[in-house]
Amino acid sequence: MTEAAVDINGVEKRFGDLVAVRNLDLRVEPGEFFSIIGPSGCGKTTTLRMIAGFEDPTAGRISVGGRDMTGVRPYRRPVNTVFQSYALFPHLDVFENVAFGLREAKVGKAEIRTRVGEAVTLVQLQGRERSRPRQLSGGQQQRVALARALVNRPEVLLLDEPLGALDLKLRTDMQTQLKDLQRSVGVTFCYVTHDQGEAFSMSDRVAVMNHGLLEQVGTPEEIYHRPASSFVADFVGTANRFAGTVDGVEADRYSVAVDGVGPRTAGGPAGLAVGTTVQVLVRPENLQLETDGGSADRDATVVDTAFLGAERTVRLHSPKLGELTATARGSGKAPEAGSRVRLSWSDEDAWLIPAADRSQP
Amino acid sequence: MDGDQGGVTIERVAAPPPAAPRWRRIDPGRFARLALLAPTLAITLVCFIVPLGLIALYSFGSVNQVDFNVYFGWTTGNYRAFTSSLYLHTLARSVILSVSTTLVCAVIGFTFAYFISRQGPRAQRLLLVAVIVPFWTSFIVRTYSWVDLLQNLGPIDRFARALGMNGHIDILYTQYSIGIGILYSYLPLMILPIYVSLERIDPALFDAAEDLGATPWRQFRRVVLPMAVPGLIAGIIIVGVPALGEYVIPEILGGGKTLMAGNILADQFLQTGNYPFGSALAVSIMVVLMVLLFMLRRAQPAADPQ
Amino acid sequence: MNVRRHPFAAGLSLLVLLFLWLPLIGVAVNSFNRQTIMAGWGGFTTHWYGLALHDQNVRTGLETTLEIAVASALLSLAIAVSGALWWRRASPRARAVYDGLIYARIILPEVVSATALFFLFLKIHFTLGLTAIVIGHTVWNSAYAAIIVQARMAGLDPALEEAAADLGATPWRTFRRVTFAALLPAIIAAGLLAFTFSFDDVVTSVFLQGASNTPLPVVILGMIRFRITPEINAIGLLVMLFTVTLMSIAVLIYATAGSLGRSGRRGNMLDIYRGR
Repeated sequence: MTEAAVDINGVEKRFGDLVAVRNLDLRVEPGEFFSIIGPSGCGKTTTLRMIAGFEDPTAGRISVGGRDMTGVRPYRRPVNTVFQSYALFPHLDVFENVAFGLREAKVGKAEIRTRVGEAVTLVQLQGRERSRPRQLSGGQQQRVALARALVNRPEVLLLDEPLGALDLKLRTDMQTQLKDLQRSVGVTFCYVTHDQGEAFSMSDRVAVMNHGLLEQVGTPEEIYHRPASSFVADFVGTANRFAGTVDGVEADRYSVAVDGVGPRTAGGPAGLAVGTTVQVLVRPENLQLETDGGSADRDATVVDTAFLGAERTVRLHSPKLGELTATARGSGKAPEAGSRVRLSWSDEDAWLIPAADRSQP
Repeated sequence: MDGDQGGVTIERVAAPPPAAPRWRRIDPGRFARLALLAPTLAITLVCFIVPLGLIALYSFGSVNQVDFNVYFGWTTGNYRAFTSSLYLHTLARSVILSVSTTLVCAVIGFTFAYFISRQGPRAQRLLLVAVIVPFWTSFIVRTYSWVDLLQNLGPIDRFARALGMNGHIDILYTQYSIGIGILYSYLPLMILPIYVSLERIDPALFDAAEDLGATPWRQFRRVVLPMAVPGLIAGIIIVGVPALGEYVIPEILGGGKTLMAGNILADQFLQTGNYPFGSALAVSIMVVLMVLLFMLRRAQPAADPQ
Repeated sequence: MNVRRHPFAAGLSLLVLLFLWLPLIGVAVNSFNRQTIMAGWGGFTTHWYGLALHDQNVRTGLETTLEIAVASALLSLAIAVSGALWWRRASPRARAVYDGLIYARIILPEVVSATALFFLFLKIHFTLGLTAIVIGHTVWNSAYAAIIVQARMAGLDPALEEAAADLGATPWRTFRRVTFAALLPAIIAAGLLAFTFSFDDVVTSVFLQGASNTPLPVVILGMIRFRITPEINAIGLLVMLFTVTLMSIAVLIYATAGSLGRSGRRGNMLDIYRGR
């Protein structure tokens, strides 16, 4: 197994009585775009700061590139950070900001000029080297912060919600640019954000944290289609959940008795025993609506629809199954509010979440 | 089935994680922080608190009239000396003069600050500069200039006589000239905090008040005045407290005739040599000030009224 | 100017401005006045300036005052900057005490603190003189300097220092390259302010001068007492021009200093008052 770019081992972080991060184990592979997402206060920023060295773990160990970083000050770590507030030095121009780390490393003048030039071109700010930060727009400042970090060729680049202050259009553009940049430069990116969509669009793998605990790590698909808990399921998208009990285990599927619906099969995590109470997760886009009449069990009434352009969201109420959401294509006729529809879904689209997990929605 | 997911439901089978290092690294932070505080401690404790404490201590001492040595012994004789009518009279006049001058200063300062705050930004800046620049000039020279201006046969005197007054103005070397001197020197210090308070008032509040039916006068009373109070109190403190202990102004504009507490105090230490009595005086001044400060702080609305 | 809405206030304000500037004009005019009895204008002359500039007392006084002012300003800055650095990571209670001591040093009448220091020096047999004066000035000068430096420090984004560390700068180099550089306008302004206060000081200088050379303001005080009037106006105008120039530089430097990454606003002298 190759050395992990970042290896977090049993790390805990306490601030007095508050436990910000608990029992964290995480590996970031070299060259990947790795994101940590979660609600405010979940510990993702604390984790990032511990990798950077601004906080010391109360317990556990963090390694970067195979080297134990315990007790190593930030200025001696092979990582660089892009801060949420950019933290550009106001009294230095763009060139000197970007060159800052190189000067600390006592790099020669000629090499500084070359490398800074490359970094500035990389973020498309050539020609602005003599500007001061306050003369630049938010997006430009953000790019300077990026160049300033990357020019030092760190083993890992840490990014702490860098796009938070930008407006939507700029943010989406920057997401594309960041992803392309990471691909071309090849540096391991460790990205923190509360925006699930942002993380999904750029990352190779995503970690979901909640209240200091790691809920799940995986590719965006895994997290979305095969969430480990109802917290994760809700955090990354809308979830329809049906209560049920496991009554059989087959090769790679479970048989489930779904309350109010009947026997179905579904995928699920390994090790669920017969008799376990579960929730069957079906994403809105997989919930089909038929307007012909039929068995009253799977009937639901349309509460409301919303037209979003490419999609249409339909809110439903079912006496047996509760409040549900379905997504349909934007084209086509919208179901009328108050009309009755029949729900169905394909077994391949169903996934089990243990009902007895600690993270309640 | 899916493999290792990390997190909640899977039991940890691996060895317990390594604990944080046993040895507590000597926190350079704590030592460095104390080192940073050292200069301030030196100047505040050694050169400010300790001397004041010493004075307080020796205010209970006495001076031997023969060898001029100062002895420390617990006596309240120095404080009792205040009750002699000479000193009491002077001290009372000191307090009255300072208080009345401060009040006049407050009224004038408030009006001026209010006027500034109602101007546009450029006019405001200009007016502020006009107020502050005199403050940057030599205090003693400015004070001396009033000797010229206030003396009989000086410009103000002649101006008053030109307006038809009989006799001379006879202001110089009286408590009035001292009052004018104090008013003059401390006016900028009164204006600034009041202005800052007033400037904070969101202009939209006036519109809101007007919308709710308030006349200009009532707007003033119910919007402006309450919000100006913190600045007003700050100004009164910054002016009133030092004014009580003024030395230079009574020296120059009092002509040695009208003495204030500050002069008496200086006298004890620089000429008479009655240090214990001087100490008692200093302590008394401090006590009066602390009482004043306490009362004023109580009158100040809590923190930021915004 | 918005005069019509507040005629009373406008009128009073005009009087106030006149009141504030009258003595300055008086000094300026009289410094060129041939007439010494101040009973009117006696003709233009620069005689008093010649007298003032050649007066040995005045020259020594100026030298002495400059020495004291520079020493006190530097000392006050050292105290103010180190104090501000400590303040950032201090507990709220410690901060309250620190702030209280700054406030106390400014508010307490100079006579009282000068007296107390005089007494202390007497008791520990510390020779009065220039060093004593410098210490005396620094007691309150450091408080004024601290206010200015601290106000600027408060606007400093802590992330800046983290960014410097992240980029490889040790704590000392972070201070040198980032913190100090960002504080520089405030340091210069505070230094000039402290210098001016020291330059102008009478009370503490009178108490602590001992047998040393007399600082200029005390020389002037002596001249006033003994009614050596004519030179005073000339000296006065020169001194006034000097201190006004210094303070204008201080304000200009502080006002044109860029923001520190928190708000987008430019700095302004009154921000100190507002605590920004």
